[in-house]
Amino acid sequence: MISQHTVLGAATILYVLLFFLHALYFALRKDRVMAAMWYVLYAAFAVHSAGIALRWAESYRLGIGHAPLSNYYESLIFFSWSISLLLVTMRKRLSYPVITFIATALSLFLIAYASLSPSVQKGIQPLIPALQSNWLHVHVITCFLAYAAFVISFVAGGLYFIRSKGIVPSGEILEEINYRSIIIGFFMLSSGILTGAVWAHYAWGSYWSWDPKETWSLITWIVYALFLHARFVRGWKGRRMAALSVIGFACVIMTYFGVNFFLSGLHSYAT
Amino acid sequence: MTATKSNNPGRGPLTGIGSALRSIFKFLVSVRLTITVLSLIAATSVLGSLIKQGGTEEEYLALYPEKTYHFIKLFGFDDAYHSTWFYFLMVLFAVNLASCTIRRIARRKKGSGDAGMPDIKGLVAAGSGFSAPSMHKEEITRRIAGRYRKKTILDGGTLYEKGSLSRHGATLIHASILVILVGGFIGLVAGFKGFMVMHVGETGEKALLRDGKNTHVPLGFKIKCKDFRISFYPGGEPKEYVSTVEILDASDRTVMERQIRVNEPLSYKGVRLYQASYGKTNRFEFLVNGKKVLLGEQEVYSEGKTPFMVARFAPEVHNFGPGVMIAYLEEGQKPKTAWLLANVEKMRSGRIPGAVISLERIEEEYYTGLEISRDPGVPAVLFGFALMLFGLYVNFFISHNRIYVVDNGDSLNVAGFASRNKEGFREELKAFKEGLT
Ligand code: HEM
Repeated sequence: MISQHTVLGAATILYVLLFFLHALYFALRKDRVMAAMWYVLYAAFAVHSAGIALRWAESYRLGIGHAPLSNYYESLIFFSWSISLLLVTMRKRLSYPVITFIATALSLFLIAYASLSPSVQKGIQPLIPALQSNWLHVHVITCFLAYAAFVISFVAGGLYFIRSKGIVPSGEILEEINYRSIIIGFFMLSSGILTGAVWAHYAWGSYWSWDPKETWSLITWIVYALFLHARFVRGWKGRRMAALSVIGFACVIMTYFGVNFFLSGLHSYAT
Repeated sequence: MTATKSNNPGRGPLTGIGSALRSIFKFLVSVRLTITVLSLIAATSVLGSLIKQGGTEEEYLALYPEKTYHFIKLFGFDDAYHSTWFYFLMVLFAVNLASCTIRRIARRKKGSGDAGMPDIKGLVAAGSGFSAPSMHKEEITRRIAGRYRKKTILDGGTLYEKGSLSRHGATLIHASILVILVGGFIGLVAGFKGFMVMHVGETGEKALLRDGKNTHVPLGFKIKCKDFRISFYPGGEPKEYVSTVEILDASDRTVMERQIRVNEPLSYKGVRLYQASYGKTNRFEFLVNGKKVLLGEQEVYSEGKTPFMVARFAPEVHNFGPGVMIAYLEEGQKPKTAWLLANVEKMRSGRIPGAVISLERIEEEYYTGLEISRDPGVPAVLFGFALMLFGLYVNFFISHNRIYVVDNGDSLNVAGFASRNKEGFREELKAFKEGLT
């Protein structure tokens, strides 16, 4: 039986390969390289999914079966997977080498950090009673899809400030990608916050307790709500919107990483 | 009211008040206020997440210099989310949102009714439509009607529509936020949150609030803990803990018996009981003049001539194993103490005036910690959640499409608009005339 760690290791190697394929493309500018890149990306996504599935199966063999969405290591792996999922499902819109480059590099960073950092607990841990709920799945999946969409928005927003002709797509395209990722992200983040609240209602007897992670997700939500209003009510465009998406992403980082490192609360089991 | 006429102060001051009111209203509906209030709410939340909340004075002084502590206290940052001005921000936000929503609905009403025919020829020329010979009219309208609703017959044409709900997406979202805020407010005013700790066999009827003032809230019924079980994973982490409880009515009749698990609360008469925590205490079995007596720590046994209690428990007394210090009170004297050791035969019993006490056994016993809350606002909040997701979905992912079909006698013009996914709309239009020759 191949272990989940081997399979996830293989996925990591495929992400490394993607990194070099992009580098090769930037050097040669041959479309064939990008075509090959997409095949490797599909392969990486498939292997990554298989790794998650194996870990799931293994938890059942250990007699503590649960979906691999319950600790920091598993959330990093899933975060990375979500980014790849968005790339694969939105291939038509995101088929720009710089965008796939940065996004897959972030996937690589997350999965490599998860498996290499000594401070990340890699074992399969049993679920404490509070986590034994189907709301866990909906909550985690929606939150990480939101984070992944905000990653794409951040990439588009950040690239807006680097107008190097040739590689970076036009400002219009970046704005379109940015906006589309934000509506997906906003929808998913709202779903994540609301399912989290419903779960908290069943598990702790209070749908909102101002725990730091909750609070930061609300702050993030407010920032993106301001983004949507700036665009629709005030008609903001261009650099200001790009800047807002970078600020929004800083809040996402704080919500996901910052809270675990600097603050403590109900969600601190996630470290 | 007969004085109405004489109360009329004339035009001048009235318009003054009127214009003041109008500018206040303008301020309340302004998006600028929205941005300000939302930013302030976000900023308060940032501070609240960085500064310790609800700590004691000592905890703050250990963390911050005294001046900073006074500053924190002065602005209520030690309980930011329940401070007066945070509530003020919330109310301002709700008023802003409500007035925005009302104004939007009013404007919609005024501007509703279909504006008549757009410039169909122009749309066709711009690629958002096509022309076809009239003989295909039946087939084309049949195809359109398969996916669209026939809306109205206008001067010179027919309007077909789909996804018109998406025009109301933003209104639904805004209304849902109001519903959630109202639900939160109801919970704040009419609800409570507390907890209760029970050993197996004990009965409780009041929840203790966490307000530091030792407030008890009656539940309106009694709850008896019949059993508490806990199981562990092989690694020692708790796997499951369950309390079996009975609800008793005023005349001590059992109304229901249920298990409460983590994630599976019990709800009775609007009060919800959650399995929140558990803990261990010691129970001490004594023989008092040959009679079996079970006592917890600090629990007084006062049936005999001399009342006594377990004042202290020590798991290890000078390498002699576990022991308890009992304290007893003779009339008119100061309390005296004596040590009894459970595992040392000679030191197991002692004599106090009027009784021989011996410590027979020390048992560890679990107690269950139940979180207790009443929140009549929850249904509104949950409804608001559903409404928000529905509104977001409708607003972002449904496209409002309109197709106009105009019969010019020998030819037919078909054209329209889509609020989202415009490429998809053009493809769809193309498909309506595909295969017709
Ligand atoms: C944090 C709370 C809020 C959220 C999440 C929110 C969300 C939204 C969303 C998703 C849209 C639709 C954007 C689109 O057209 O796709 C919107 C539009 C709008 N919002 Fe809000 N909103 C909030 C608060 C407010 C408040 C307090 C006001 C009052 C000033 C307001 C005024 C508007 C206006 C005027 C529009 C334009 C609607 C239109 O398309 O006609 N919003 N809002």
